[in-house]
Amino acid sequence: MSASERELFQRLSDAVVEMDEDEAVAVANEVVERGIDAYRAIEQGLSAGMERAGQLFDEEEYFIPELLMCSDAMYAGMDVLKPHLRSDEVAEKRKVVIGVVEGDTHDIGKNLVKIMLETSGFAVTDLGRDIPPGRFVETAKEIGADIIALSTLMTTTMEGMGAVVRQLSEEGIRDRFKVIVGGGPISQGFADRIGADGYAVNAADAIRLARSLVAPAEAAA
Amino acid sequence: MSLSPKERLLDTLAKKKVDRPPVICTGGMMNAAVVDVMTRTGHTLPEGHFRSDLMAELATDVNHDTGFENFGIPFCMTVEAEVLGSEIDFGTLACEPKITHESFASNALVQFRDIDTMLDSGRIRQVAEAALLLSRSNPDVPVIGSITGPVSTAASIVDPMTFLKELHKKREDSHRVLDYVSEFLISFARLLVEGGASAICIGDPTATGEILGPRLFQEYAVTYLNKVIDGIHATGVPVLVHICGEMKAVTPSIPKLHSDAISTDAFVNLKLLKEEYPQLTTMGNLSTFLLELGDPDKVSRHTAGLVRDGIDIISPACGLSTASAVGNIQAMTQTVKDGGRGW
Repeated sequence: MSASERELFQRLSDAVVEMDEDEAVAVANEVVERGIDAYRAIEQGLSAGMERAGQLFDEEEYFIPELLMCSDAMYAGMDVLKPHLRSDEVAEKRKVVIGVVEGDTHDIGKNLVKIMLETSGFAVTDLGRDIPPGRFVETAKEIGADIIALSTLMTTTMEGMGAVVRQLSEEGIRDRFKVIVGGGPISQGFADRIGADGYAVNAADAIRLARSLVAPAEAAA
Repeated sequence: MSLSPKERLLDTLAKKKVDRPPVICTGGMMNAAVVDVMTRTGHTLPEGHFRSDLMAELATDVNHDTGFENFGIPFCMTVEAEVLGSEIDFGTLACEPKITHESFASNALVQFRDIDTMLDSGRIRQVAEAALLLSRSNPDVPVIGSITGPVSTAASIVDPMTFLKELHKKREDSHRVLDYVSEFLISFARLLVEGGASAICIGDPTATGEILGPRLFQEYAVTYLNKVIDGIHATGVPVLVHICGEMKAVTPSIPKLHSDAISTDAFVNLKLLKEEYPQLTTMGNLSTFLLELGDPDKVSRHTAGLVRDGIDIISPACGLSTASAVGNIQAMTQTVKDGGRGW
């Protein structure tokens, strides 16, 4: 990698960490103009920046508003670079269906997890909030998802997560999907009780969990 | 002579010595209208969200069946957002109402409505009327009017993701909306006090250290909570504030709140908080998981621990699950009434 490439990637990464949308777009345009590989600019620039932002979030330097602004900068840069990806670079991504379970409309946590999953190279289908169990199952089948990610902030709606797992079992397709759960009232104990494959305490943890759940299959392939 | 529940709560909030801590559940985000109670009495939600007589009856049922030493109304956190323009799904017997659609895409787009007109719309008058019915029917029991805090209310009328980002990016717009929302909340609380509420509780679940971090918490949450608290204090009643979630990041801001008591989530060690800031009147914080999934023995043991730790007001730590067994709640309230003895 040339020094100037390295410098551009660093500036992309910094623009994300510094929550600077305009700078992210400007540098991404520079990458395109100079014919630098868009894929590497995303990987080593924008995604690397988002990873640093996630780390600052873990360390309680950044909180949710900052992380959201970092992701805006990342997506702004991404919009410029994506059309310039070579077709052989658009790899088949692991697929996640995500949403807030029925009865709940709090989606800040879900949105954070979605952003971090996308940053980490997952293709995410976001169903939104207040989603009945059947829609998670249908969508997962439809797109051939690897992971179903369920979120809720309300104790009154937690059981909707169990309903998704049950429906998968009843249809005999439980093995086809990994189910992960998270949100304020959720715990590892609850995840175990409903038969989910994993629980994540926050967005950064959700990424580690998602990666580890799809990793063995990758090794086998 | 023993204190009435109202005297005990008001004395505690005034930092006077009392015989034992009060045990309360404030309503609003800490709604104790559990399914067990509603099934027994037939006074049910969602109907009770709309009619003052039913709201008062259900609050009376809750007080009677659970042993909580107050009336707590309303039973949801959507009264404010509804009149400020958001779409509400009023839920079911077991599921509380929620916002289905925030009406404004950004702070700049918020329409500032006339406050007096808003006080005559939605369910505002019904809640105030319920306060009046309750305070008249049983003057010894404190009526706690629960309101949604300024940050959460603002994030219930403006798209929450945009709202959070604009706390950084568009400070002026954010302050303008929070100021407007706070003015409205003060007027709403005043109506509840005129109706006979003995205290107001503010729950502000979006204004947490975990979501905002220390800087934005201080700039927005503390500023506007204090504005609302000061406005309510002007009517002569005390104010309780509940802070959700893990509080570490914002602990130094807590003593800056002008409230008469501070209630926290279950992970916060209230005993340590009191040691660090002895001037605080602490409230809390029995795990709501324990109340839902535990048994009366365990509930009683944990409650006794809170009493022993010198927590000033005993209360659930967060919103109760509507599936919580009334027997567990009774174990909690009875343990406090027995002075936390037996364990």
